[in-house]
Amino acid sequence: MDLALPPDTPGHSSAQSRYHVYVQVAMILAVITGVELLLIFLPFPKALLISGLVTLSAVKFMFVIFFFMHLRWDKVFCTILFFIGLVLAGGTMWALHSLFSVANSIPLTFQP
Amino acid sequence: MSSTAATATLDHHHDPSTTTGIPNKKLLLWAFLASDCMFFGTLISTHLVYRLHPPPGNPVPTQVFNIELTSFSTFVLLMSSLMMALAVNAIQRGDLKAMRVSLLATVFCGCIFLGCQVSEFTTFVEVKHVTITNSIFGSTFFTLTGTHGTHVAIGVLWLGLMYIRSFKPAGEITGGRMLRTVVHVAVFAAAAGLLFVFIVPGLISLFVEGSGLGAFVHTTALPLGGEVAALALLAWLGRAAGPVDFAVANANDVESMGLYWHFVDIVWIVIFTAVYLLEYVLPAGPAH
Repeated sequence: MDLALPPDTPGHSSAQSRYHVYVQVAMILAVITGVELLLIFLPFPKALLISGLVTLSAVKFMFVIFFFMHLRWDKVFCTILFFIGLVLAGGTMWALHSLFSVANSIPLTFQP
Repeated sequence: MSSTAATATLDHHHDPSTTTGIPNKKLLLWAFLASDCMFFGTLISTHLVYRLHPPPGNPVPTQVFNIELTSFSTFVLLMSSLMMALAVNAIQRGDLKAMRVSLLATVFCGCIFLGCQVSEFTTFVEVKHVTITNSIFGSTFFTLTGTHGTHVAIGVLWLGLMYIRSFKPAGEITGGRMLRTVVHVAVFAAAAGLLFVFIVPGLISLFVEGSGLGAFVHTTALPLGGEVAALALLAWLGRAAGPVDFAVANANDVESMGLYWHFVDIVWIVIFTAVYLLEYVLPAGPAH
């Protein structure tokens, strides 16, 4: 499936071309969601399933921000600004997960 | 300026009047969304930390979730993003009518998503007895998904206001016109509210939980009547009435609103995987 945008030509602007790109991206997103739902019922190793689900989620995320949110066509500063927030959010998540995973942080009531 | 001429001359990704070349509204929205990433990051982390180390008394999420319904609502939210992208595309082409139709389709999808969430929360509390106070899982789950749902509800309201804004007449605004706008907003809010609070949850009870047609009519007859009346009023208020002060020049306003709506979608993409799907792959902690 070709998601490349043709150059503007008289009577055929990029806005008109993008209409088809959006529909194609939406179909891809719908299919990925279906695959995600299917994956959780398949008897694959846990590591493979987790990697697959996280990867598919990341792919959907990227499709939405780069196509629907126009980052692909906008100035690169918008991408940098948003990714600063994403990196900070990811860092916060990693820090919290690390902090609460050490033995002394596990709630006393939880004994595996 | 005709819409064709405007499409040929306007570059929607460059604003020469700002030093960055990015329209100020769009820049503000991107900065806000970057900060909102951190907000949702902490909420998702909190939920995951307690799921990985669950205290006794937590419910088993896979016995509480209805993954088919959640997948359906995820699909609907993704399609709402498509409708939003088409709305932005339509106004960039100067097609006002197509933009209005796409905006209403986005609102409709948003209301279905919210209705699914209302139904899910109701089942959690009334059937599964999972509340925001009786378990850590309930506290983190309701806080996270409720905050996201609030974002969606704000987005629906914003979409509605933009839809009504597109009817602003080109001439002088009279008192009667202002009153009409207030009525338009009220009718829109009523239509959206009835749809996601009563009608969509009622339909889910009917078709998913098999509650029966009698129960559906008993609980939703009045809201259904109100919805039909509100939709008829919306159609009447939305009929063509002369030139409007809304055109290609407003594409940035619609695009900025679209950024917010797509952000709500990408947050749900992460929540759907981290909170719902991973539970079926990685059951955490002992069962209770």
